[in-house]
Amino acid sequence: MNLTPPSEHDIHAYVDGHLDDPRRSQVERYLSRHAEQADEVHGWRHDAQQLRTLLAGDLAPAPALDPSRVRERVRRRRFVRMGMAAGIVLCLFVGGIAGWAARGIGSGDAPMADAMQAYRLLAVDRGVGMDITTGNENDLRAWLSGRVGQDVRLPDLADAGFRPIGGRLFATNEGPAAMVLYDDGSGHTVSFYVRPPGPARHFLPRGAREDDGLLANYWSEGGHNYAVVAVADAAGRQAAERVTGKAI
Amino acid sequence: MPTPNIDDDLRTMLPRLRRFALWLARDVHAADDLVQSTIERALSRWKSRREEESLRAWLFAILYRQFLDGKRRATRYAQLLGSLSSDEPTWPSAERVAVAHSTLAAFAALSPEQRSLLIWVSVEGLSYQEVADILGVPIGTVMSRLSRARRALRQLGEGDPQSPSLRLLK
Repeated sequence: MNLTPPSEHDIHAYVDGHLDDPRRSQVERYLSRHAEQADEVHGWRHDAQQLRTLLAGDLAPAPALDPSRVRERVRRRRFVRMGMAAGIVLCLFVGGIAGWAARGIGSGDAPMADAMQAYRLLAVDRGVGMDITTGNENDLRAWLSGRVGQDVRLPDLADAGFRPIGGRLFATNEGPAAMVLYDDGSGHTVSFYVRPPGPARHFLPRGAREDDGLLANYWSEGGHNYAVVAVADAAGRQAAERVTGKAI
Repeated sequence: MPTPNIDDDLRTMLPRLRRFALWLARDVHAADDLVQSTIERALSRWKSRREEESLRAWLFAILYRQFLDGKRRATRYAQLLGSLSSDEPTWPSAERVAVAHSTLAAFAALSPEQRSLLIWVSVEGLSYQEVADILGVPIGTVMSRLSRARRALRQLGEGDPQSPSLRLLK
């Protein structure tokens, strides 16, 4: 009679009913002579039966867990996620385009609109509210280089009949701006306006535009943006042309 | 189109998955969450399933891994907060009655892995090889862990003097 103890595998297989007849009787024969181990193994078998019985109860149905419902939910969630991603992309796109389009804005919608504003403010009243009132070009040059930049060139318009009468500083979003007002002694004024390009480094192509009776010529040079503003009549046009011709 | 078949296959497995999840998580809501994420994962990985692998063992493996992952996350979260959450089971009222039975009470007190082992082997009738594959251990290790689990269940069940299983044993 073979009394070698059965392997752990065979003991469990016996408990779980996986053994074929000859091996089962072999295990039973062994257990019949080893009461202590037989007690344990029969206890295991009893526990396994108990668990099968006790856990067999039906759970309340859960229709939400049905695969088709889960599938539908995953699809909806993916759709929402894709929608959100598309929304984010769209926001970035629109924001980027708008930001790019608006990169020059800050001094107004049009280039050097601030120069035209400054002209309206001062030239109409012939220099009331100037920071500096002098016809001396050296003083004006020093005043400009101290406030706006060393390399700002003040145009000399003496041969065109225009003489400077003073200047004023303006605070703009791009930095300090200065305007020098010229007068030809017969009621015509021309303003020379200069300011930094601002943090966006927005330089201007040479251009001109008319707005509300004023004419503005503008350009960029040597790290500054310039504008010459005059009343948009024949004298103003002529004066502005001379200034821009000088300044280039 | 294989979709209806997949759904049917999964549907027949639902009660077993829910029972396993309930005894693993010991909380109805957590169990339903586990089953749902298991179904989701099964649907998305259906093609990667090996033919010879039984659907039951495959699904149990997914659910068990989801449970372990969730537990690991919860532990890390609890450590972040500086306190380990208590492992007190939260039973729905209906199951609380069932747990009053001593064998079930003992079963509920086992470690999650021991509970899983006993459900797979004793209740679901998985082969030892399938269990070894789920746990990623050799079959001999499954045997020794199974012995430990069965011994623990025995001890915990008999430790209760009012245990009806004691009387049943005689």
